[in-house]
Amino acid sequence: MSSSKDASEVDPKLLEILVCPLTKGPLRYDRARQELVSDQARLAYPIRDGIPIMLVDEARALGDDEGAPPRPGPAAA
Amino acid sequence: MGPNNIAVFDRRALRQRRDRAADRTGFGFLFEAAAERLADRLEDVTRRFPVALELGCRGGLVAPRLAGRGGIERLVASDPSPRFAARAAAPRLAADPEFLPFAPASFDLILGALALHWVNDLPGALLQLRRALRPDGLLLVSLLGGETLRELRQAWMEAELEEEGGVSPRVSPFADPRDLGGLLQRAGLALPVVDSDRLTVTYPDALALMRDLRGMGESNAVAERRRRFTRRATLARAAARYAAAFGRPDGRIAASFEIVTLTAWAPHDSQPKPLRPGSARARLAEALGAAEHSAGDRAAPPADCG
Repeated sequence: MSSSKDASEVDPKLLEILVCPLTKGPLRYDRARQELVSDQARLAYPIRDGIPIMLVDEARALGDDEGAPPRPGPAAA
Repeated sequence: MGPNNIAVFDRRALRQRRDRAADRTGFGFLFEAAAERLADRLEDVTRRFPVALELGCRGGLVAPRLAGRGGIERLVASDPSPRFAARAAAPRLAADPEFLPFAPASFDLILGALALHWVNDLPGALLQLRRALRPDGLLLVSLLGGETLRELRQAWMEAELEEEGGVSPRVSPFADPRDLGGLLQRAGLALPVVDSDRLTVTYPDALALMRDLRGMGESNAVAERRRRFTRRATLARAAARYAAAFGRPDGRIAASFEIVTLTAWAPHDSQPKPLRPGSARARLAEALGAAEHSAGDRAAPPADCG
């Protein structure tokens, strides 16, 4: 029931097995926006309170200027 | 979604209904009954399932009933309704069983109590579930069978014919258990077992039954359902028809629910398989002590075959 971890943080092991529900392709974790981005489907699935919402009609369509990872930082998730 | 898809169920209507149901409590008896059956089934299996997924968890259905069964170390909870998912214990997510968001071979076990009866493309969903299983992983899910709410279906049909001169789909269609074994095999699952049992629930009247269905988030979501309000006279007629045909001596009415439980395994070399034709080591005639007569079949198929 009660978890000592921060409830708003998404489970990292869950992220490892998630794929895009439409394309079954890989997802990119955008920590800042709390989104899981499917570059193939051009969709971003929201993470709300640490819960990935993997529903196509809840996803945000990517804009034309959004694409591959903007910053390949060393602390990639 | 696409115009060429035949979608029986309106998935958005379904999710909204589930979201509303997530705000209520006390209506889940049917789901609890189905979850008990799944947990019992797991007791009969000796294999251990470290990583499991619960589909349609409705805030955590099977998890609290497992009591250490199945050797589950990690249970991922998922529901099409984000609000139900938020009530389950972490790790959790919102996902649609028709569009599963899991990488191949992610789970040793997939559980789901009444999680699949709203699916439009059941063969497609089963195929996705099989892919999400590791080799020798177990699929243990239940859905509502065709006997479910047959009384209500009949009462509505009669009332609509009498009051309005036509019928519309009032009660969602359910799967026929006889078709399901074949569907499991077509999805590439091995050793399929389908069994069903019936539950009879009594209500004061048909209106109370309909209220309860709404409370469960299980009222009609057929895409072709009528979007206008039901006429009062038709509703009253349906309730009267129901009471006349399915009333009990104590004045209550009976409603049937059929819970169909599916068990099947992701293929693995260790599983028993049928022998190849012609691989027998002994003759049947010898074992029976009978004389063998040729049936006249050719040993090899004709050259133009296949």
